[in-house]
Amino acid sequence: MRAGRSPTIGLLAGLAITISAVTVYSFYTIGQLSSLRQRQSQVIDRNRADSLLLLRIQNDLNSAALAMRDMLDATEPYPLTAWRGQFQRMRVDLEDAVERERSFSPSDRTADQRQYLARSAAQFWDALDRIFALAESDEGEARARIRLSLGARQEALSTLVSRLLVQNNENEKQVAVETQGIYARAERNTYLFLAAMLVVVLVTSLYLVQYNRRMFHQVAALSERRSELARQLISIQENTFRHISRELHDEFGQILTAIGAMLQRASRRGAAMEAPLRGELEEVREIVQSTLDKVRALSQALHPVILEEAGLEAALSTHLPIFEKQTGIEIRYQTDGTGQVDGSVAIHIYRVLQEALNNVARHSKSTHAAVRLRYLRDAVVLEVEDDGVGFGAAKETHGMGLVSMRERAELVNGRLELLERGGGGALVRFTAPLSTEEAHAGV
Amino acid sequence: MTRRGFLLGAAALPAAAASDPGFRLVDVTGAAGIRFQHNSGAFGAKYLPETMGAGCAFLDYDADGWPDILLVNGMDWPGHRRRRSTLELYRNNRNGTFTDVTREAGLAVEMYGMGAAIADYNNDGFPDILVTAVGQNRLFQNTGKGHFLEVTEQAGLGGRSSFSTSAVWFDFDRDGHLDLFVCNYVKWSPEHDIFCSVDGSRKSFCTPEAYRGSTCWLFRNRGNGTFEDVTAASGVFDTSSKSLGVALLDYDGDGWPDLLVANDTQPNKLYRNRRNGTFEDVAVHAGVAFSEDGKARAGMGIDVADFDNSGAPGIAITNFDNEMIALYRAGRGGVYSDIALQTGVGQASRNTLGFGCIFFDADLDGRLDLLAANGHIDETVRNIHGNVGYAQPPHLFLNEGRGGFRDGAREAGVEFAAPKVARGAACGDFDRDGDVDLLITTNQGPALLYRNDVRNGHRSVRLRLVGTKSNRDGVGAVVRLWTPEGTQSRMVKTGSSYLSQSELTLTFGIGGRERADRVVIQWPSSRVEEYKNVAAGVYDCVEGQGIKPGPGAR
Repeated sequence: MRAGRSPTIGLLAGLAITISAVTVYSFYTIGQLSSLRQRQSQVIDRNRADSLLLLRIQNDLNSAALAMRDMLDATEPYPLTAWRGQFQRMRVDLEDAVERERSFSPSDRTADQRQYLARSAAQFWDALDRIFALAESDEGEARARIRLSLGARQEALSTLVSRLLVQNNENEKQVAVETQGIYARAERNTYLFLAAMLVVVLVTSLYLVQYNRRMFHQVAALSERRSELARQLISIQENTFRHISRELHDEFGQILTAIGAMLQRASRRGAAMEAPLRGELEEVREIVQSTLDKVRALSQALHPVILEEAGLEAALSTHLPIFEKQTGIEIRYQTDGTGQVDGSVAIHIYRVLQEALNNVARHSKSTHAAVRLRYLRDAVVLEVEDDGVGFGAAKETHGMGLVSMRERAELVNGRLELLERGGGGALVRFTAPLSTEEAHAGV
Repeated sequence: MTRRGFLLGAAALPAAAASDPGFRLVDVTGAAGIRFQHNSGAFGAKYLPETMGAGCAFLDYDADGWPDILLVNGMDWPGHRRRRSTLELYRNNRNGTFTDVTREAGLAVEMYGMGAAIADYNNDGFPDILVTAVGQNRLFQNTGKGHFLEVTEQAGLGGRSSFSTSAVWFDFDRDGHLDLFVCNYVKWSPEHDIFCSVDGSRKSFCTPEAYRGSTCWLFRNRGNGTFEDVTAASGVFDTSSKSLGVALLDYDGDGWPDLLVANDTQPNKLYRNRRNGTFEDVAVHAGVAFSEDGKARAGMGIDVADFDNSGAPGIAITNFDNEMIALYRAGRGGVYSDIALQTGVGQASRNTLGFGCIFFDADLDGRLDLLAANGHIDETVRNIHGNVGYAQPPHLFLNEGRGGFRDGAREAGVEFAAPKVARGAACGDFDRDGDVDLLITTNQGPALLYRNDVRNGHRSVRLRLVGTKSNRDGVGAVVRLWTPEGTQSRMVKTGSSYLSQSELTLTFGIGGRERADRVVIQWPSSRVEEYKNVAAGVYDCVEGQGIKPGPGAR
């Protein structure tokens, strides 16, 4: 099966794209904001300062108009020249305001327009100066000039300032509209960006989910294949063992038995035989007998025929004394209940018992062990318990013995439990269904 | 002592101190025999001048050393005559009571009077009276025999009709003869009265924006009993001003008297004396033309004094409600800054409409306190601004030193702190007990005399200046007085407050001390006199002749 391509490169590429998108967008936003700020300071603030100064100029012009009216009213017992000081104060303030206004005037005003206000104001003051000079000799003529020319100049100036104020107002409105536009654009772009990001995140997530599912399926299939292989391996092994065991028992057993019988007959018949020859025959017969015993033991070990012929319990009853004899470990054997264990299951129970006892003999350093066989309604439970040192590290390192036990448990759809006992020692509990039909029902 | 008790005790300490300012202001109006009733002439038309008057003054018209009282009155409007009302002059009986001597003094004159400025303009030793009015102002010359002669026409002040308010006598050209500056409010006459309404139906008093401004006047004393109108020549001509208060000060410390004019809804004016007979307005530069936020406030009364004992005069200007009192402290480069908010004066005066205002040392602790006489212009104000009343309690800001003021009006006296529609305010020691008593006028109401009873044992040095080379009243003279606590300075000045004038005798509180270490008098003639170890008491200081205990001194 082909291994899936690693998603790392794709994800890294996606991340890089996302980061660059965020960076680009951030720069875009910052750019928009700074342009907005610039607009604010260059146009709006400036416009406002300019308007304030224009209002100040307008105020001075109004004061001038009031003073001019007072001059024309002639209710004061003072000559026209008395107003000089009052106008001088207005002039200082107005000229200062005009000077400042020039530096604040909107950038779209032409140099000529900028000069115009100052020039008009200067003309007004010139006219006023001339009128004051005239007033020293001819008040009547001076009054007439105030009424005719100075009033008109004042009005023109006032109109000019009003127009500039209106213009500023319009500028401000226009800038407000533009600002609004920038805000709207930025808002729309933000939404677009967020949507794009959302799509990217969604696609990436879907891709990852999909990839994980595929990986999971692959792992599951692999695991299944491995189990299948293990099953086949064990099954082949058992078949082979059974076949060899049969051959050994049936063929070589028969042959050796026959040779033994023939040798016995020959030795009986040849009583007259010389003693040395009889001795040799006897020696050969003993070798044959020993060979037969070994063949039988090997056959038994490869595949306990008794298992098929007499069942699980008989096989245990046979095997346990042999084990006790071989290892010197005392075994307490108990059965609880009765039941018919299918042959295909029994062999695995038997093998698990063998392996567990081997472990007891090899690792537990215990001299006692207990074997319990308990029948449930549709299952059988085998327990092998010792009072030795426990599994210790063996459980973690998954020794081959434990692995094969697990495989067998899986093979019959049973459950293998490796338990530590409270006061040291280990308990191997193998729960298996009574027949393989049940064992394979779940697969 | 329990912890709680201790805390309560600690909390009560400043409260106890606050409840006893060391003096009381006792209403002695009735006991003193002052039965003045202001007549605004109101008959329902709500003419603008009706709500603006009137002023009062302490003066020693018989030169016996005991301050007498002048009360300015309005009159019924033509066509609505119901009763006769005149100025009133009360002679001090030297026993805490006064006698009405109006008729004998020749002052039983009917006029729509507003304010008064009093000084010895002809240097004959007896104070003369200028009464400002709606219409023709009048100058009354003191004959020295308990009688006044009206010399308006002879002096050259006749033939003028205006809405005059406060006025000040001062010697701007330093020739030894007092000149006259008169504030004019707006161009108003019954025929040109404008209809204004707050509620849209009933007439109310107009704010001055409805009327055109009116120039102040400056009259130079020729020294021969006549005056020359130098309004235009001196540069104080300004038809945009709507002036109500004026105070004398030496803004730039050059020994030449300058003027500060409080304008209603127009920028205030600070006329700096250019020493050549002309003035220039430097109010904008000095920072007193507008409020700190650039607004022209409704300046009413004004006073100038060295309230922080820094040697440089500070300024107080009363304004409309929601505008706060302006309290200016002199800074570097001749620029004033408004410290009303940080001293606590601003917040306290936010809802009051102030008119008369005087710096005086109420408790004689050597620090000038500030009186503001309050009262709204419109009796229906409560309907529009719920937090502002027509009758309002006065402020008496007690100077606690280190730039802090506390309104102690209530502690000074319950009657004193009662709400009133106050206008003018003047101070003077009418009972000659060494502390400063108060006189407050009310619109369409009585004039109120408050006797100051200082109970904390504080004493004062009181100096009456008599010029020989300088003008006889010593107006413009600056006196400095040293005690271990610091240096106080005062200027002899007419005018100030609102439509009113206080006594010209200077009062220095020296606290619990017996004497002042040093007193220096700088006369308008530039002569400087120095006296050491001046004991508490009242003195006559004659220019070039030293000081001696004043007449009737105990």
